[in-house]
Amino acid sequence: MNRLLLLLLSSSATLLVFGLWIPVKAVVAQEMLALAWAESQARRTETRPWPWADTWPVARMALPGLDRSMIVLEGTHGESLAFGPGRVAGTGSDNGPVIIAGHRDTHFRKLNELKAGSEIRLQGQDGQWQNYRVESFRIVDSRREQIDTQRLSRDVLLLVTCYPFEALEAGGPLRYVVMARRQDPAPVNRVEQIDTVAGL
Amino acid sequence: MMLSTTLLRLPVPEKIANRIRLRRFMEGITLWLAFLLLLFVQPLYVEASVGDELQSGLLQLTDSRGNRQESALVLESDFDVTVSGLIADTRLIRRFRNTSDDWREGRFVFPLPEKASVHALTMTVGERTITGEVRPRALAREDYGKARDSGRQAAMVEQQRPNLFTSRVANIPPGEDIIVELRYQQPVDYRDGQFSLRLPTTLVPRYMPGPLLPTGEVSGWHDGWAVATRQVPDADAISPYTVQPADVAPDSHRARISVSLNAGLPLADVTSPSHGLETRVDGQVMRVTPSEGPVLMNRDFVLRWRPVRGRAPVAAVFHEQFGGEDYLMAMVVPGAAPGRKLPRDLVFVIDTSGSMAGESIHQARQALGRGLDTLAPEDRFNIIQFNSQPHALFMQPEPASANNLVRARRYVSRLQAEGGTEMASALSMALGSGDPREDGRQTGRVRQVVFITDGAVGNEAALFRQIRRELGNQRLFTVGIGSAPNMHFMREAARWGRGSYTAISNPADLGAPLEALFSAMEAPVLTDIQAHWPGANAEAFPERPGDLFLGEPLIQVVRGVPAEGQLTVAGLAPDGKRWERRLDLRQSAGGLGLHRRWARAKIDGLLDRASVGGEQPDEERIIRLAMAHNLLSPFTSFVAVDSTPVRSGDSPLLADSVPTLLPAGTSAGMVRYPQTATVSPLLIVLGLVGLMFSAGVVLLRGRVAL
Repeated sequence: MNRLLLLLLSSSATLLVFGLWIPVKAVVAQEMLALAWAESQARRTETRPWPWADTWPVARMALPGLDRSMIVLEGTHGESLAFGPGRVAGTGSDNGPVIIAGHRDTHFRKLNELKAGSEIRLQGQDGQWQNYRVESFRIVDSRREQIDTQRLSRDVLLLVTCYPFEALEAGGPLRYVVMARRQDPAPVNRVEQIDTVAGL
Repeated sequence: MMLSTTLLRLPVPEKIANRIRLRRFMEGITLWLAFLLLLFVQPLYVEASVGDELQSGLLQLTDSRGNRQESALVLESDFDVTVSGLIADTRLIRRFRNTSDDWREGRFVFPLPEKASVHALTMTVGERTITGEVRPRALAREDYGKARDSGRQAAMVEQQRPNLFTSRVANIPPGEDIIVELRYQQPVDYRDGQFSLRLPTTLVPRYMPGPLLPTGEVSGWHDGWAVATRQVPDADAISPYTVQPADVAPDSHRARISVSLNAGLPLADVTSPSHGLETRVDGQVMRVTPSEGPVLMNRDFVLRWRPVRGRAPVAAVFHEQFGGEDYLMAMVVPGAAPGRKLPRDLVFVIDTSGSMAGESIHQARQALGRGLDTLAPEDRFNIIQFNSQPHALFMQPEPASANNLVRARRYVSRLQAEGGTEMASALSMALGSGDPREDGRQTGRVRQVVFITDGAVGNEAALFRQIRRELGNQRLFTVGIGSAPNMHFMREAARWGRGSYTAISNPADLGAPLEALFSAMEAPVLTDIQAHWPGANAEAFPERPGDLFLGEPLIQVVRGVPAEGQLTVAGLAPDGKRWERRLDLRQSAGGLGLHRRWARAKIDGLLDRASVGGEQPDEERIIRLAMAHNLLSPFTSFVAVDSTPVRSGDSPLLADSVPTLLPAGTSAGMVRYPQTATVSPLLIVLGLVGLMFSAGVVLLRGRVAL
């Protein structure tokens, strides 16, 4: 009986520790990512936060309304989302729409506190900050919908996380999507300014 | 812990006091754990009540109303191709298997070769085979609709674009399948002594330019995928839902391909840039299959064969009788004409739209790089990239100096694929970008435009009209990129642009096709080609053969000429010399399907004439022609209808659109929502429950011991 009890006790404790470890990891990793981000800004290259990482920081996102700032990683596979919000691969290059996904239990826990008109700031690899303003929210069923990146306007930022926020189940089909739109025009100094645009 | 500390001062013997203390302590912990658990479990109730919070249509995230259900239909395809001479005849068997418990209507948008003539349809249900017939489009729809609604099994195939078709299959019983067999023929491509054949299996999602049309009317036919736009009113008909291979059933969207090569010539090599091949010689016939067995339908199957050196045909005549009429097909290869190279103004236009993302843009950049290699110092060039807007490297064509080339290469290496495919403005910029002060004829410069794209647009016809309008004395060449380029666009844009076209399908295959195209662009061109057939009532197509580039043959199909006399083909070389060749028609070999090729060419001619004149095509005449030759056309469809109803009125029929696969190497325009929750809350709750439970047990035992 005692042994059984001990087993139950220790396994529950282990579960609890693992459960708590995920948010702790998310917080700790962000600190390391901040270093990698600083380095990649200084060197202007993709810097991996630790040698075996299969992702790298691509942006810094600030949510002034929620008093939060985090480093965004490349890709949305489980490995990168564990450490930070992930930019959906293939989006956000140059001028296209940006789609960023994050775990609802860690980095995007407070996403539902964003209001229409809230500000989101995004710093790209070139160090330029861009301001976005939240326009709308939507709850979608991911079994029935996909994001058509080609139909999205180019100045759109989408934040995606799981819905409902307080659910226990990890594989749920619902997603909470925040759409924000860029405020100021894109910065003028792109890598190489192309000198002429021929008239039509 | 407050609970336990308040009890510390009770006057009880030490031993018991300790016990009580421990018990109180445990009780406290348990209470706290229960409280924590409550915090975590409360969301479970929340979750149960969110079902009806789903909104739709706030954002245009999906390409339709966002109502896609997983497809319940499994699709298998079987291509059985017989090549004889210059015509390939294919039996395409599609098996629609219904894996659900409901009756289904299947709808499938699929590509066929751009010059395919579909000439038979049969539907097989169990033991029965029903032969389809050609009907005018509207009547076919009516027949099909009636059959579907009355519970009879039916199949219909319609043409949406010359290379895009829709098949509909009604009343597929739960758990069973319906087999639809199509027969079509296509011309074999012959250039530079090499034959090639392309079997498209999927399509790149098309871009629909223009403002969106209000989606007011929703008829039974409109289960809209893409939203119709002002420029592409039938957008929904040509844009199937595109999915990754992982999203369909593991045995769905596979094609068995087998090609019987009856070339009539000793062959030197049979190759495919797209698939590994297994070949077996069987007497005169060579049988070719992809070595991997059934292939995934996410890239075109391309087959090339070449006769042994010195045996490449330079002329051929085929003869067939159909309906009491004689049909002849002649092929003549003019061969290389000597001529001097003229300095050129070369404009490269590269498609950097979203559909090019992935492997395609990489190939396009490489192709452009090869194009830059062919520039001579006296040439001038420019590069225009376009997606939602065009953008040019230089204001006007600049000399191909080392400096400019370095700049161009840097520009090319930075090209990224994203955004829309607004081709019209790019074409205007390219075709109008020459220096307006000088005319090509006076300066002796040749003006050429190379268009590098996957052709993923829905408004092809408007673009061809634009090319014709703005071409002037320039020539437009197209290079098709990717695993499934829109070859209809490549061929027709080049034809209206008086140029030539090619396609590259994978990085390893860049060299040969591009080299052939670029050397054809440098070489002189035979113009003013005329073919004189004997006999007064000869009706030959294409009516006006285009200019011939190096290595290209002239192919004409004629009706009303018996296999005797002589065909004379004449042309004008660039140095002003006449070129002429005679062909003895008595030498003709027997051919099959010539009449269909002729009819298809005539229909194309009628459509061309209407397009040039800016008027509606002569629908009645095309329908008569298509029905006489049993052909699918823009105005005629194939329909097969069973006579007995199998579905009773009270069991519903669910419509199901079979998706197509995203071409290999394309990065998806459609992004799946990522998985964005961790197991952390679940683990925490489980841990807390376990802890509480054990604490409860400890507590109970404490009381018992007391």
